[in-house]
Amino acid sequence: MHESGLPHDGHSAGEIDPSDEVTCQQLVELVTGYVEGALQPRTMNHVEEHLVVCDFCVTYVEQMRATIATLQGLEKHGSPEPPASALAALQARRAAGA
Amino acid sequence: MPADSSVVSPGTVVSDEKTVAALRAGDERTFRELFSRSYPMMKRVARAYAVSDAVAEEIVQETWVAVVTGIDRFEGRSALTTWIFSILTNQAKTHSAREKRAVPFSCVAPGEVAEPAVNPDRFQKHDDAWPGHWATPPRPWQKPERRLLSLEARDRLKAALAGLPDRQRLIVGLRDVEGHSSEEVCDLLGLSQENQRVLLHRGRSRLRAILDEYLEGSDA
Repeated sequence: MHESGLPHDGHSAGEIDPSDEVTCQQLVELVTGYVEGALQPRTMNHVEEHLVVCDFCVTYVEQMRATIATLQGLEKHGSPEPPASALAALQARRAAGA
Repeated sequence: MPADSSVVSPGTVVSDEKTVAALRAGDERTFRELFSRSYPMMKRVARAYAVSDAVAEEIVQETWVAVVTGIDRFEGRSALTTWIFSILTNQAKTHSAREKRAVPFSCVAPGEVAEPAVNPDRFQKHDDAWPGHWATPPRPWQKPERRLLSLEARDRLKAALAGLPDRQRLIVGLRDVEGHSSEEVCDLLGLSQENQRVLLHRGRSRLRAILDEYLEGSDA
C-alpha cells in the first residue's frame, strides 16, 4: 500500500493556514485535526477562538465527538477459531521438531 | 514501530524474539494468542482489498498458513507484525489482481477527491454578509446520549460505516471501532499521518452527516 493516490486539496483534514480567522466552512474541515490534537498551535488557537464565539460550530464539534463515541461503542471484530490449515502446519512443525 | 515488539492490540506488547521461537517450535498457545490479537486488524485490512467478506476471510487464512510455513524466513529486520502485514497485503493484492479489482491504496476512488465535510450550500456565499459562515447551521441533537445508544441508531451507524469507501471504512474501523492509535495504523499501512487524517476526516464527516439525518428525522 502506498499513499500516492491521496489527494491534497482544500478539503483535507490538514492545515488550511487561515490568515487571521477561521470561518465555519474551514472549521468543519479542521475538526478532525482539532479533536486529534494534531493542528499547528497557530491554527489550534484560531479554532479555539472561533469556538468561543460560534455556538453553531460548537454544536458541530459536539456532534463529531458524539459520532466518534458511538463508533467506539460498536462491536469490535471478534476472533474466530484459527484456520485448520494453519493449525495443521503448526502441528507439522511440532512433529518435525520432535 | 520498534523491531523488537509486536503491537497489534492496544496496550499489548510481546517480545518478537520469544514469539518467533515459539512459532518455529510449533507452539499452539503462542500461535492462538497472536492470531486472536492480530485477527481484527487483519480482517479489516483484507476487507479493504476484497470484494466480499468471504474473500477477506480467505486472504487472512492464507496469510496465517504462509506465516506458519514461512516463519523460518523471518529475519527480524522488521517487527513481526510488519512482516505479517506485508504477507497479508501481498496475498490481498494477488486476490485483487485475480478479481481485476483496483487495489484500494493505489488509486483515487471516484467521489473521494475534494469531498467537503459539509454541503457547501449550507454556508454563506461570497456576496453574503458573512462569507464562509453557516447559512443553514447544524441543529443540536436532542438527548443524543440516550438516542445514540439505541440499537436502531447503532445499526444505522454500522450500516453507514459498511457503506463508506474502502479506505475510509478501513481507517475509521481501525481507529474508532478497534481503538488503534494513528501511529499503529500509519506504520502498518504505510500511510503518512496527514493522509491517514484525511481519510479519517472524510469517513467521520460522512458518518456524522448520516447520524444527523437519522436523528433529525426520528422522534427525540
